[in-house]
Amino acid sequence: MLSINLINTYRIPQTFEYYRPRSLREALELLNAIENAKVIAGGTDLVVDLKYRRVTPRALVDVSGLSELKFVKAGDSYVEIGSATTIQELAENGAVRRYLPLLAEAAELFGSWQIRNLATIGGNLCNASPAADTAPPLLAHDAELELASLSGSRVVPLAKFFAGPKKTVLERGEILRSVRVPVHRRRAGWSFIKVARTSFDLAKVSVAVLLSLDGNTVADVRIALGSVAPTPVRARTAEKHITGASFEEAVALAPELVAREIAPIDDVRSTARYRLEVAKTVVRDAMRRAYERFFRVGVEV
Amino acid sequence: MYDFIGKRFPRHDGFIKAAGLAEFTFDVEVPGMLYGRIFKSPYAFAKVGRIDTSLAESMGAVVLTPDDVPDVLFNPRLVSIEEDTFKDWRVLTKTPRYVGEPIAAVAAPTEDSAQRALEALRVEFEEVYEPILDPFEATSPGARQIHARIMRGRRWVEVRSNVGAELRYSEGDLEAEERRSSVIVDRRFHVPRRYHAQLEPKGAVCKIEPDGTLTAWTTTQTIHNTKIMISQVYGIPMNRIDVRKVPIGGGFGSGIHTNLVTLIAVGLCLKAGRPVKLVLTREDDMVHDHVSFEFYMRIRAGATREGEITFGEMENTVDMGAHQVQAYPLLGASLGWFVSLYKWRALRYYGRAVYTNKVPSCAIRGYGAPEVTWAVETVVDEMAEELKMDPVEFRLKNYRGRGEIFWGQGPTVRSVIRSDGVPELMAKCSELIEWKKRGDPKSKTGRFRRGIGVGRGFHTSGAGGPLSGAVIDYSGAIVKLNEDGTVDYITALQDHGGGTLDAHAKIIAEELKVPPSRIRIVWSGTATTVYDVCTHASRGVFVGGEAARRAAAEVRRKILEYAARMLDAVNPEALRVTYDKELDDAVIFVEGAPEKRISLGEVARIAWQRNWGSISASVSYRATVAPPSFTVYFVEVEVDTETGVVRPIRVVAGADVGTVISPELAAGQLHGGFAIGWSWATGDEVVYLRDGTPAHRLSMTDYKIPTVLDLPDDENFTVVFASTHEPFGPFGAKGLGESASNPVVAAVANAIYNAIGVRFYEIPITPERILRALKGGG
Repeated sequence: MLSINLINTYRIPQTFEYYRPRSLREALELLNAIENAKVIAGGTDLVVDLKYRRVTPRALVDVSGLSELKFVKAGDSYVEIGSATTIQELAENGAVRRYLPLLAEAAELFGSWQIRNLATIGGNLCNASPAADTAPPLLAHDAELELASLSGSRVVPLAKFFAGPKKTVLERGEILRSVRVPVHRRRAGWSFIKVARTSFDLAKVSVAVLLSLDGNTVADVRIALGSVAPTPVRARTAEKHITGASFEEAVALAPELVAREIAPIDDVRSTARYRLEVAKTVVRDAMRRAYERFFRVGVEV
Repeated sequence: MYDFIGKRFPRHDGFIKAAGLAEFTFDVEVPGMLYGRIFKSPYAFAKVGRIDTSLAESMGAVVLTPDDVPDVLFNPRLVSIEEDTFKDWRVLTKTPRYVGEPIAAVAAPTEDSAQRALEALRVEFEEVYEPILDPFEATSPGARQIHARIMRGRRWVEVRSNVGAELRYSEGDLEAEERRSSVIVDRRFHVPRRYHAQLEPKGAVCKIEPDGTLTAWTTTQTIHNTKIMISQVYGIPMNRIDVRKVPIGGGFGSGIHTNLVTLIAVGLCLKAGRPVKLVLTREDDMVHDHVSFEFYMRIRAGATREGEITFGEMENTVDMGAHQVQAYPLLGASLGWFVSLYKWRALRYYGRAVYTNKVPSCAIRGYGAPEVTWAVETVVDEMAEELKMDPVEFRLKNYRGRGEIFWGQGPTVRSVIRSDGVPELMAKCSELIEWKKRGDPKSKTGRFRRGIGVGRGFHTSGAGGPLSGAVIDYSGAIVKLNEDGTVDYITALQDHGGGTLDAHAKIIAEELKVPPSRIRIVWSGTATTVYDVCTHASRGVFVGGEAARRAAAEVRRKILEYAARMLDAVNPEALRVTYDKELDDAVIFVEGAPEKRISLGEVARIAWQRNWGSISASVSYRATVAPPSFTVYFVEVEVDTETGVVRPIRVVAGADVGTVISPELAAGQLHGGFAIGWSWATGDEVVYLRDGTPAHRLSMTDYKIPTVLDLPDDENFTVVFASTHEPFGPFGAKGLGESASNPVVAAVANAIYNAIGVRFYEIPITPERILRALKGGG
């Protein structure tokens, strides 16, 4: 454990180089040239890590000013979001609100006004916290990430992006360029529910549900959870099991099935037992809310 | 009937705070200033060997070690008389007794170089002991002694079984009262340590003036006690120290004592011969500097079948951490709150404060009253239920009200209650919340269950009384008329941000009939003010405000003398004073003689021009009573029985504060009091890991307090003021600060019981605990 005398949150008690590139290409060149360089966007996670010396980079490459990474594009089959788009921009963006209300709902519940205006979607994902608020909605949407590097770019499904708490498959020299969310033009109801100690807190449990029905039969369902496993997770077995069932049957079965796919722990915010118990309740709640919305305001996703 | 009291005026510091212009300790810059950092013990209980300062010094830093500070034992809290002050602190220690205890300090020209110098210190630990974190373990046979001996006043006392202070008290024939009781409730309660979460972390800036005197700016609730503390530790005469009053970002009790940071800053400044700024980070402040006391209480109480309370017995083990910030008066105050809540015909009390290897505990809003009130109000609710009596009626029948003796701050602070708004508040508030419709917990079903609870309490208004007692409590005020008729108000009394000094300005305004806008509240220091003990004990308006009123009354008397000469009146008694809206000034006149009138501005100008001399008054005031300000909370909550999450639905907050001087600020105190109480009831808890490290190491990420979004909005928060008048208060006013939060935990806990039928004897009542109680899981 870090000695308490090394922590000084009035300062960043370490030195590093700081670069503010003018283009994504320049940012990639810097990352390539400098060993142990970190990308910084909003800094809401990274600056805290720097203060506590959990990371000790030689250089920071600041991408928060890159207009190439700040956009929301609604195409025919996907919505693409630049990685430096702030959470508040997501919450207010017309296309996000229209096509991805599940993500907009999570963005609205994200931290405080101050945090939402600094934090970015890319930073939230790359920090790879199990509690990342944008992760469950994006997992539910089968989002893909475009990772750029000097040698080109590759596309990784978000579900394969997280490698553990605070770990991703990003390789040296790579920057998350954008998040692509497929849109199938299928009517769906949605719900993101977060249980936290206060309204400005990380989740103890969060659940995102996307639900399409055929009459009263579950035609398609996606359930993703945060803060209940080493990474944000999709409950795929549960989803498979309840697809084709009547909604009432699905809602009765889902909680116990989901519980088998998560592995919560004790921490300063809550206990494993509480998380397990409440995850079940919140899955049920989120399914019911998604169901109501499907009939009331269902969107095409 | 009043021109200014009860009316709304802009706060004197409102604009500068909203605009970010107010200069707090952190903002004080002195040319040539060094920045300090403290070397904190990483161990909860250890013995320091050699401290190698050479590397840090070679980097240009000034290093302060235990050998550089006077070997003086002290207690940082100076509110009690010396014979009752328990001393076990040193400025820097070679025997750290909690994680974070200061061992050394550095000062360097920049914040970064100070941090580097801190990291360059080499501190050897000769021994590291297993920390004792539990008070019952600490008192068990064979436990290592955390302190072998300490000082009480000027004499040494041995510490046995790690019990640092004890208090016993009894009254009446307890066994006889017990025999005639038909209901007896016996419960144990636990209240954990909580962090104050005041807006501003502690800090100090010190400077040696060219003439050798010391100036200090610091985040204190009491500038004069800080001056005395510095004098006691460093042996500097008090007239060579000027502690300046600067705005503070709240305190909630964490600045009643002189925070160690101030004494370390003085040491660094003296050694360096340069100004020093030493400000704690939020993490230093909340993880290592101060927390509330932790209470383990047992309450046993009885009542007759007719609903008359018979006896009350209380055991109180207080975990005070590694040093005393005056736990002894806390034991007395806790007893006082217990005694004053209900008319126990017999009572017995045993309190003890126990050392553990944790951050020293200090006062937090209410000084034991929220904790004792929660325990007693729970027991009282249970007795009423067993007797099948309405809890409101049961309380009204048994509480201590008008004519009874009230203990303002422990056994030596007693006076008779003269103003009592409890019946009025109970009637009005219970009707507003629809108390009669609250229903029985057994009848409530479904996932979301609502419940309504009541909590009644009070706080003292200061710690004054007819006899001197064990608590120091008096205040001072200087009011001075300028040559244009404007007024300077000079006081040592600190305003925590709640608007206490705006209340004083209105009191002076009312006495003189000049508008508050013509009264300047002067930022002053110990050199230019007379003694005020501290802004604590909800005494700011009742004691400090009365000192201001008396100084203003003296100024008024002198104004009338001058005006009588100017207007050719037979004597000052012939004159009347009124506020003239058009002139926006006081006007002095002879009744029935319209030509005989003169503005205060003119009086001041003429007195100056004719060499009559300045008008001013300096007052030192001791209150001979400490009246209770009663509060009554009715709270409606909703419990989600599936997640254990509790939401506040509606709050009706009733307060008997006598005359309400600033209704909107007083209502603000009740909103804030509810917020802190809600936090204690449902969330606040400082937990320690086995090695003595606080579990909330990451500060505000780990430790949460409710935000405005977690609390009821204005529409669902009703404030009711009683129509009382306190004969000893300035224009009939009493205190408010702490009574605003004291019964909140009780009301919330009783509301949760009313919703789900489960009593909790440990706070916070977290969703995890609720779920465990309901489902056995969580």
